[in-house]
Amino acid sequence: MSSFLNILTTVVQPDLFASAVRIATPLALAAIGGTICERSGVVNIALEGLMLISAFCGTAVALAAPGLFHVGPITATWIGVCAAVVAGVIASSLHAFASITLRADQVVSGTAINILALGLTGYMIQVLYHRTGTTDAAQILPPLFAFKVHPTGGLGVVWDWFSGVFLGHSPLVYAAVIIAIVAQWALYRTRWGLRLRALGEHPRAADTVGISVIRGRYMAVLMSGALAGLAGANLTLEQVGSFSENMTSGRGFIALAANIFGRWTPVGSYLASLLFGFAESLEIRLQAFSNIIKVPPQFFLMLPYILTVVVLAGFMGRAIGPAAIGKPYEKD
Amino acid sequence: MSATPEEIAVKRQRWMTVARQVATPLISVLLAMITGSLIVLVTGGDPVAAFAALWDGAFGTPYQIGETVMRATPLIFTGLAIAYGFRAGLFNIGAEGQLFMGGLAVAWLGIALAPLPWFLTVPLMLIGGALAGAAWAFIPALLKAKVGAHEVITTMMFSWIARYFVSYMLDGPMKAPGPDGQPGTIPVSQMLPPQSTLVKFNQVFKFIPTNNAHLGFLIAVVLAVVVWLVLRYTTIGYEARAVGFNPFASETGGISVARTTVISLCISGALAGLAGVTEVMGVHHRMSDQFSAGFGFTGIAVALLAKNNPLAVIPAAILFGALSAGAGLMQLNANVPDKLVDIIQALVIFFVAAETVVTWFVKRRMKEVTKHV
Repeated sequence: MSSFLNILTTVVQPDLFASAVRIATPLALAAIGGTICERSGVVNIALEGLMLISAFCGTAVALAAPGLFHVGPITATWIGVCAAVVAGVIASSLHAFASITLRADQVVSGTAINILALGLTGYMIQVLYHRTGTTDAAQILPPLFAFKVHPTGGLGVVWDWFSGVFLGHSPLVYAAVIIAIVAQWALYRTRWGLRLRALGEHPRAADTVGISVIRGRYMAVLMSGALAGLAGANLTLEQVGSFSENMTSGRGFIALAANIFGRWTPVGSYLASLLFGFAESLEIRLQAFSNIIKVPPQFFLMLPYILTVVVLAGFMGRAIGPAAIGKPYEKD
Repeated sequence: MSATPEEIAVKRQRWMTVARQVATPLISVLLAMITGSLIVLVTGGDPVAAFAALWDGAFGTPYQIGETVMRATPLIFTGLAIAYGFRAGLFNIGAEGQLFMGGLAVAWLGIALAPLPWFLTVPLMLIGGALAGAAWAFIPALLKAKVGAHEVITTMMFSWIARYFVSYMLDGPMKAPGPDGQPGTIPVSQMLPPQSTLVKFNQVFKFIPTNNAHLGFLIAVVLAVVVWLVLRYTTIGYEARAVGFNPFASETGGISVARTTVISLCISGALAGLAGVTEVMGVHHRMSDQFSAGFGFTGIAVALLAKNNPLAVIPAAILFGALSAGAGLMQLNANVPDKLVDIIQALVIFFVAAETVVTWFVKRRMKEVTKHV
């Protein structure tokens, strides 16, 4: 019992929640991208590959920028973030072209992009850095807020928790929260949002009243590419610094599940991602007690994937997706 | 001899069908290789040298041909697995996980059945490994049938779970002891006894020069024919195709979509499991967590290129086997990263999926042909 309490007090620290938010961020950005894309009626199984390509391009540009533009490391990293977004948009345009213009099977087109991302990033690591597996490390973005004040006494504990959980994060972590709220508002309170949802529910009706299905879907897929790009940038340029092969390790698919769990809404996607982030954060901390909790580390590592399946199994039946999802639109 | 317009029309229709079945995949491969060459060119390499080295690495010597056949073997199984799923309207993207479970199962069975002679161990291991693959597909299949959870996400997640499970087993219960009897240092299973392995062709037919191709290839080819027959002539196959073609009509016609979904995905899982089985029994003779070069994913390209036709899976698998066999020499001789092969594979998937691009080429060619009639 005392060992249980010991674990509890060691694990339940501000950092448990802070790292949940950190881990949730790339999932949430990709999941919101998935939400926008799927709301328009296009399945985006390519999120995984889009994140991977963007993460690589972001890192490569951030590494090259000081030499190219004579800028400091932090500015270089910001240029890298922009490059990641651009890379995400370009890569997603491939998916858009195949699935909207050519009316290819959207799941297959997405799979092609996932495999392409894996091959292309591995290829480019060898071409640019003359080794396999991982790039050099770029400067990572520092926390947005840096406070020197530190109150004492009871207020100190409150401050520790508040600043620990909410204030120590890098910029894109906050950006993800803002994006979730803005996207939610845009999807349900603007004309753009109404039109986007119409594309995914009944494209023929939308077409009849003069909404361009093709253009609307293109915009949605490219936006999901931009968001997956931010997710990739967060993974490398805020969390790790360097890019390593297949570093997304299934996050794109978990993000898709988060989008479904969040019932195809941006805020829902964010909250679902937060749940996945919390589970992983907890799992990482519990691993430190492997001498007390006699569970092999591999079983901890399985948890995010098991949780994804459980969430899908439990909520899929009740969550109804866009009606026209996955169906290419053909004008008569 | 002059043909009536009807005859020309029929001829054209036939031409179009043949074109779609044969020309589309061929043009897709060609376009993929051209795009791959451009990538090599842009990144400062020599595409001609790259593909020359690739060819030498795949077919240059009898030994290299053996490498191509060896690498094509698991791809026939995973290609069949994914093609079977596609026929039933299911995308088994998690074949890699089922392959891992199949490999793990035979690594254990081969040791457990050691006292038995080969004509018992080999069939039992094949069946056991296939069952392990099917079992790994069963839960995603059930979730798809009961609540509609998309198999692309669930089988993918099960693929990751399988990899961690295999890593645990090889680092724990199944870890091989070191040479001095002390606990082993690397996470691999014990070597299989000779009667639990698939022999190489050159061990059976002495006139074949030494190479690594093993009897698994023969099993794969036979199985491709079996799967073709199952899809064409059995009730299970008919129901799978019906559900893949139109689930609503099938349900109305009295086919249980849920039951067919579960059976089809499990058959797909069993086929993928066999890829792991023959890799362990024919190539590595033990299980390690590095034993698959992404065969489950390459199987997607194989199936799509074969247009989900089980017989066409064989040449498609040989193509990707050749690419994979040649990749090493390409990196060595032409200094082009072997990852180019993965890029080409993705591009093939892309071009086959985006058939319109390819049929546009075909149609243009058709116009030229009919002009001269």
